[in-house]
Amino acid sequence: MLSKSAAKAFFLGGTVLLSAIFLGLTWDTFQQIPGRTNAAALTDSVKRGKHLWEDNNCMGCHTLFGEGAYYAPELTKVFERRGPVFIAAQLKNPQAMFPGERNMTNYHFEDAQIADLVAFFEWCGKVDLNGFPAKPTLGAPAQRAAGPNAPPRPLIFSQLCITCHALEGAGGTVGPALDGVGSRFDAAYLDRWLRDPAAVKPGTKMPKLPLDEAQLTELVTFLSSQKEMAR
Amino acid sequence: MKFQSQKVAWGFFATCMLLFTLQIVYGFIMAFAHAGFDGLHQWIPFNTARASHTNLLVMWMLSGFMGAAYWIIPDETDRELAWPKLAWAQLIAFVVVGVTALIGFHFNWWEGRKFLEIPRPLDFLVVADVLLFIANIGWTVWKSPKKSTTSMVLFFGLLAAALLYLPGMIPTDNQTVDSFWRWWVVHLWVEGVWELIMGAILSYLLIKLTGVDREIIEKWLYVIVGFTFLSGILGTGHHYYYIGTPRYWLMVGGVFSALEPLSFLGMAIYAFAMAKKGGRTHPNRVALLWTVGCAFMSFVGAGFLGFAHTIPQVNMYTHGTLVTAMHGHMAFWGAYAMLILGIITYSMPLLTGRKLYEHVTAGFAFWVSNVGMVAMTLAFAVAGVTQVVLERRVGMDFLTVQKEISVHFIGLILAASLFTLGAAAFIWNFIRYGMPNAPVTGVAVAKE
Repeated sequence: MLSKSAAKAFFLGGTVLLSAIFLGLTWDTFQQIPGRTNAAALTDSVKRGKHLWEDNNCMGCHTLFGEGAYYAPELTKVFERRGPVFIAAQLKNPQAMFPGERNMTNYHFEDAQIADLVAFFEWCGKVDLNGFPAKPTLGAPAQRAAGPNAPPRPLIFSQLCITCHALEGAGGTVGPALDGVGSRFDAAYLDRWLRDPAAVKPGTKMPKLPLDEAQLTELVTFLSSQKEMAR
Repeated sequence: MKFQSQKVAWGFFATCMLLFTLQIVYGFIMAFAHAGFDGLHQWIPFNTARASHTNLLVMWMLSGFMGAAYWIIPDETDRELAWPKLAWAQLIAFVVVGVTALIGFHFNWWEGRKFLEIPRPLDFLVVADVLLFIANIGWTVWKSPKKSTTSMVLFFGLLAAALLYLPGMIPTDNQTVDSFWRWWVVHLWVEGVWELIMGAILSYLLIKLTGVDREIIEKWLYVIVGFTFLSGILGTGHHYYYIGTPRYWLMVGGVFSALEPLSFLGMAIYAFAMAKKGGRTHPNRVALLWTVGCAFMSFVGAGFLGFAHTIPQVNMYTHGTLVTAMHGHMAFWGAYAMLILGIITYSMPLLTGRKLYEHVTAGFAFWVSNVGMVAMTLAFAVAGVTQVVLERRVGMDFLTVQKEISVHFIGLILAASLFTLGAAAFIWNFIRYGMPNAPVTGVAVAKE
């Protein structure tokens, strides 16, 4: 039968051995982190962004690298997903992008601070996370249903519009789906609408988006091409 | 009670009751916000409620551990605490720092680092305060000729917990490094040295409540904490899957996390076996209920649910979702909250000289809070799994999914109400026990 001193030896021996292995792996991890996180790209702006992220406890609602709270979206790939225009607009006025939806505190960031946060998110998005977050495999067929002849989506559409609107079964549900929108509205109307939604329809929830002329033209062309399917 | 200085434990336990109450309040604020009712957003935004909820938990766990140590160490070493007045001063300082941090959270004064939100200047005060506590119990053990295994494991567990707070204060500009050190604190606490503390307190309770021979209980204590470290140290790897650390952590973390339930299973079997083996029927049955319940619920919450969530292939999709909240709630409740409520239940009759453990509310508190917690875990599970499928697997938009699952938070609120009813019964009992004025019965042994 196991004696008390043998049990004690098992505890102490195991702890020392495993701690030694853990320290060894920690040492090795620190050799690899600079390469995996692209530490050379840690500019002063990224560093300031990280400290803004911390000082305002963004992790208290959002997750980053999957760590944080589960009240607001995961932000690891937000730079790729939403782009700098959306991020800046959202940080400038959290109510503008999702009116009447889940609240985000307005931190009254200055433009330079917003640029720092955007730089921080851009850096985060490029860290090698062993494949996290995984691509949603079950949702892929819905997007493929569009077929090979569907016009390519402008980047600004995939980053901004899709946040609130769905197309071909994928996207937000804050605004109406945009399938067939080109059959319902002509290009001139869409152009007026995108320039200032409230001027066309007072009281609308749709925000006035920070678009330049080229993006506007691109979007109107794309939306006009979304015709109703023949039945 | 045996020694006058054990009285200070009551102060720490009363602090636990207060912090526990506040923790539940902030929990409700968050549950309502998730269900779509965020009327307090302007004054208590979600991140404030969240930081308050988790830090109140950490604070009342620490307060409970310190109270338990101030109760157990004089009993085990057969002498008064080295510096009883320092213990009271250290309690007051602890409460002041805690309250300052809590108020700070409401004015955007914090570090946005999950579980370690306490602002940096206060971190130093926490460390200083805990070191005073360590010195106090350490000196008490040192001065006594009696050095039981239970008191030594408890002391070294607490010392290691204090030292492991330090890596969390290493400054860095790299988010990956930041996360890496943060888990040194959080993981090596809750799945490492806190289990040492837990094992020691469980052993103490089992020795007192079952009457099984100390040598047998302490032998198994070594085996169990041995298994804890065998799996728990490298089990830290399950936090290093997807934060920018090397790929081998998927293997290391996966294998050793899979072993982690063993130590909890060991603890559960140990508690059940000792409770069964005990020939003596201790009149404080409800304290034994909390003790054995703690071992069982920690196996389910920390062991089993933790295991299910940390398999790398599963964690790829569940990481950063409400599934974590499901595991977290039952794990903390089972492993640490129930343990502290157990030691409180055991020591209160001895501290106050009143025997309220036969009262119907004592059993009511145990069963109702536990049924409530199981129901809460189920509500989180349904919400979490639905979120994983819709958002991570199907690719639906975050906000759409949140609306989809908000109904489960109504369920959570109902379950939490039941839990609160049980918790309220416990706190009501605590109040009815009154002040710790039981006569002192022990005679201190002198160092030869």
